[in-house]
Amino acid sequence: MGYDLIYSQVTGHVPYLLGGALLTLQLATISFLVGWAIGLFNASILHFGPHPARLAVQGYVTFFINTPLLVQIFFIFFVLPDAGVLLSPYAAVAIGMSLNAGAYLTEIQRAGFQSLRREEMDAATAMGFSVPQMIWYVVMPHIAKTLYPPLSNQFIIQVMTTSIAAIFAVEELTGRAYNVNSLTFRSMEVFSIVAVIYVVLTLACSLALAVLGRWLFRVKARIV
Amino acid sequence: MWEQFIEDVPRFFGFWNLMFLGQALLNTLLLSYLGAAFGFALGFCLAIGRHPRLYGIAPLRLLATAYVEVFRRIPFLVKLMCVFFAFQLSGAQASLFTVALVTVVLSAAAFAAEIARAGIESVPAPQWDAAEAMNFSRWQMLSRIIAPQSWRVVVPPLFGYAVGFIKSTSIASQIGVMELTYAAKILNTRGFSALLCFGTILVVYFLICWPTKRFGEHLETRLGQRPQA
Repeated sequence: MGYDLIYSQVTGHVPYLLGGALLTLQLATISFLVGWAIGLFNASILHFGPHPARLAVQGYVTFFINTPLLVQIFFIFFVLPDAGVLLSPYAAVAIGMSLNAGAYLTEIQRAGFQSLRREEMDAATAMGFSVPQMIWYVVMPHIAKTLYPPLSNQFIIQVMTTSIAAIFAVEELTGRAYNVNSLTFRSMEVFSIVAVIYVVLTLACSLALAVLGRWLFRVKARIV
Repeated sequence: MWEQFIEDVPRFFGFWNLMFLGQALLNTLLLSYLGAAFGFALGFCLAIGRHPRLYGIAPLRLLATAYVEVFRRIPFLVKLMCVFFAFQLSGAQASLFTVALVTVVLSAAAFAAEIARAGIESVPAPQWDAAEAMNFSRWQMLSRIIAPQSWRVVVPPLFGYAVGFIKSTSIASQIGVMELTYAAKILNTRGFSALLCFGTILVVYFLICWPTKRFGEHLETRLGQRPQA
């Protein structure tokens, strides 16, 4: 069976696909930022909180890390309506991805809390810092600098994970690829172009994050 | 929600449903563990082909590096679609299971190549120099000097990635591979409560992934304690 790859029928749709890439970045950014906030909150509970709260956080992290994101979103999307919470596909995906990212970012930032020097915390206590002040003025600057590489790595992972949104008919990059595919039936062409867009997009994000890290915290990150 | 849940439970855990879920579980396990095993083997070959002091001749190195960098930057779903349509175009009569397995192997190889590279680089340079001075062949160098010292670094993280692939196989439900997620979707379509279907497979996934991850962590502390050779 012979099949000729004809890209000319698909190239016209590339701007449409790139528009989807913007939505991909948006979804990745939202879920990363929310997940980061969840992670910071959880990591500070693990470090400062009482025992039952620590157990709850550990349970959350273990559960979300050991189950597939797709099924988590299925759960949010199909089970919550039964309980009276109706979510749009975009909201369901954003919530699922944020909760999932929150678990991973808790793990990452927990390591950051542990790498703090004891003297720094003691000094902060001696100066009469409250716990939120300690987190904001002592832990945060430390985390931002030492954890910059793993955090930016997590952002790249979020960019790739957004492709799952296509399954819920969110029109991000992969979702739009499905649309173009059903218009043109040039499947191989469409998905190979999308694969290339993902590679370029994540490389561009890595580069941008590396430049940002160098400028903000003088972190030397490896791009490739 | 709860009334339907309680009403469905006895019917849901009937014999045929359990057989159906068991079959799906078997497929998920086969897909992820078999895919990870083949993929890791391929990844080690890539890492060896990439290393300048082992078998890394220039074109091979370039190819292996390009493969690793590109395949780690494409989402699983897009890879799956590419493999799916590539099989279709080639005219090969492959089952959906094979398509998903090939996708898992291709992604596992890219990730394992990176871990193996880190492992190979963890062997200090004097060891390499000594092996070369003793006129070891490349294969002897690899099998007698490099592999025995680097496997402690390489093996534990592989289990973490294996968990990643167990989770990724849930995406294979998109092309209709009969694995856990697809089974849950079918049971949900048959009218069982969504809470019951998706809740059950969430628990099943957890029961597969968690021990695997714990085993990797156990190995990490265990192998880390031993004195380095």
